[in-house]
Amino acid sequence: MIEHVQNLGRGFFAALQKPMSRAFDGASNPLNHLGALTIFFFWVVLVSGIWLLIFFRTSVSGAFDSVEYLTNEQWYLGGVMRSLHRYASDAAVVTIALHLLKEFAFNRYRNNRWFNWVTGMPLVWIVFPLGITGYWLVWDELAQYVAISSAELIDRIPIFTDSMAGNFLSDDLISDRFFTLMAFLHLIGLPIFLVFGIWLHLFRLTGPRINPPRRMMAATLIGLLILSAVFPAVSHEQANLAMTPTVLRLDWFYLHVYPLIQVASPGWVWLLLIATSGIIVVAPWAPRQTAESPALVTLDYCNGCERCVDDCPFGAVEMVPRTDGTNYTHQAAVDSSLCVSCGICVGACPTATPFRSSDDLVPGIDLPDRSAATLRAEIVAAGERSDKPKVLVFGCRGDRGLRELRKAGATCIAVNCMGQLPPSYIDFILSRGHADGVLLLGCEDGSCSYRFGSDWTTQRLARRRDPMIRQRVDLSRVAQGWQAPWSEFATAIDKYRAFESGLSR
Amino acid sequence: MKIAMELMMYTLFATFVGVFSVWPAYELVGDQRAIISLVFSHAGQRIGDCRMLSQDELNELPPNMRTVNDCPRERHPVRVLLQSNDEVLYDAILAPSGIWDDGKSSVYKRLEVDSGPHELFVGINDSGGKSEFDYRKSLVVDLPSGRNLVVQFDEKTQQISIR
Repeated sequence: MIEHVQNLGRGFFAALQKPMSRAFDGASNPLNHLGALTIFFFWVVLVSGIWLLIFFRTSVSGAFDSVEYLTNEQWYLGGVMRSLHRYASDAAVVTIALHLLKEFAFNRYRNNRWFNWVTGMPLVWIVFPLGITGYWLVWDELAQYVAISSAELIDRIPIFTDSMAGNFLSDDLISDRFFTLMAFLHLIGLPIFLVFGIWLHLFRLTGPRINPPRRMMAATLIGLLILSAVFPAVSHEQANLAMTPTVLRLDWFYLHVYPLIQVASPGWVWLLLIATSGIIVVAPWAPRQTAESPALVTLDYCNGCERCVDDCPFGAVEMVPRTDGTNYTHQAAVDSSLCVSCGICVGACPTATPFRSSDDLVPGIDLPDRSAATLRAEIVAAGERSDKPKVLVFGCRGDRGLRELRKAGATCIAVNCMGQLPPSYIDFILSRGHADGVLLLGCEDGSCSYRFGSDWTTQRLARRRDPMIRQRVDLSRVAQGWQAPWSEFATAIDKYRAFESGLSR
Repeated sequence: MKIAMELMMYTLFATFVGVFSVWPAYELVGDQRAIISLVFSHAGQRIGDCRMLSQDELNELPPNMRTVNDCPRERHPVRVLLQSNDEVLYDAILAPSGIWDDGKSSVYKRLEVDSGPHELFVGINDSGGKSEFDYRKSLVVDLPSGRNLVVQFDEKTQQISIR
């Protein structure tokens, strides 16, 4: 069932990627920066919101009038800011939804990644009330509808005796203090929780990317500004509690559940919201969970160089005082509750070199389920075959391109993440003649399942990050194919064929 | 070409945001329709009469609990009937709140009706059926389209209000 839903999600991203790949390179593809884009939209919301706050009046009559002033009298700035405030908030909902779907579809929420997944859910529960309280503040017919419907929802919680919705029956029941309360919630209360929630959401990540590329920020901001100028956000008629609004221009991004309150009932809406949130929160522990063993440190070969600490994307490795009495001051230690078994630490380890003469290749840090020794054995086995491959392909486990290349007859070796492959292995393959060329197929920048696998690999091959590939390696014999996991596999096959034929010449 | 595609993708995104920010419009109440909101919280009468304690009984109580009247906690449920042109719009018996059934009975209902003239009748019984209705009110109103008519029970005046 879960896999079926995941496949649907993957299909959705594959369909989305088709036109996106024509417009964007890996690093500039917004699909690779959904979380950072969301944070950027919140910055836009914050800045535009500060401008609105300067002119907003927290009173029954003042609220509507001040927003009307901004929209009509000060349309050139206040009106644009209001629209930007709204559209950036809407855009954030889109990127949040895509971010959530992507992490789910590509299985980035299970095992030790549960923390980021679970801490994302409160953020959703903060963002929606944040947007909804924003609509209350305008105090137009839409605000009236939102206020009454929200009160009906709250009334369904069986702890109140008096009906909250009863406070919205006539205009004389609404006081200025109500707007002070709503303004406090919208401007201070909920944003504080949001900032804390984002911090918690990113707490376990090393070097979280909270800013998208500048070009992307500029492009989305300009796009939203043009939208604001061409299609400015406007209010409905002023709220009049003696009348019921008949037709409303709902913001479906934030208010999509509200019609359900009328169509079904507040109780059903609560059930839907709680059940959906509950299913999402417990999803990491759903059956068919396959957890791999965490990385293992072997002190005999660990020299305390700290490269694994620098490269671990999840902060799962730390340096602790040496315990084996050797002259090194520190040793690596793996926190098994944080390790996601990506193997990037193995790729960073200087002792994970296949040239070592000992039979048992045991690096300072290794993955028990996909060890450096196994990788070397597979390389040697491929090189000793009678039909020795011209090109040896390395790809991330589960990559569609890798599967298709295997079907097409290519010799492929899967790694947990491309960052798991130490550069010395490429040197080993080429210098020992196990193949004429090496093709690395991994997730493009920003789409790596383990965050930094592609980044670190390209830097290691460009000799900008330790462990660097040796100078003697002819890099024309090393091809790299980076693409999003949801891309079409055809590009991998094309890349392989072009590289192989190039080697022949 | 790539830049044109990039521009197009950002334009599509902005358009998507702009469109679903207001469209499709949602019809909350149909044309030629109005709303009658029936809203109140009212405690039913106690299920029994209060009894005046004798001086001996009072002396047996701790000083801080010496109240002259001994009243049952529980309250009667409240029955409410709302009719328009002899058609029953709402008829319910509202249970008292609280685990001892000693709280208020509450109702919040938004009832959609045709606009136009309505001969309304509201009856409330809070005494457990000793009489048909302890409070009643009849009124003829002409509801324009979209009007929100509020039917309440005013605790201060102990009367049904329709406004």
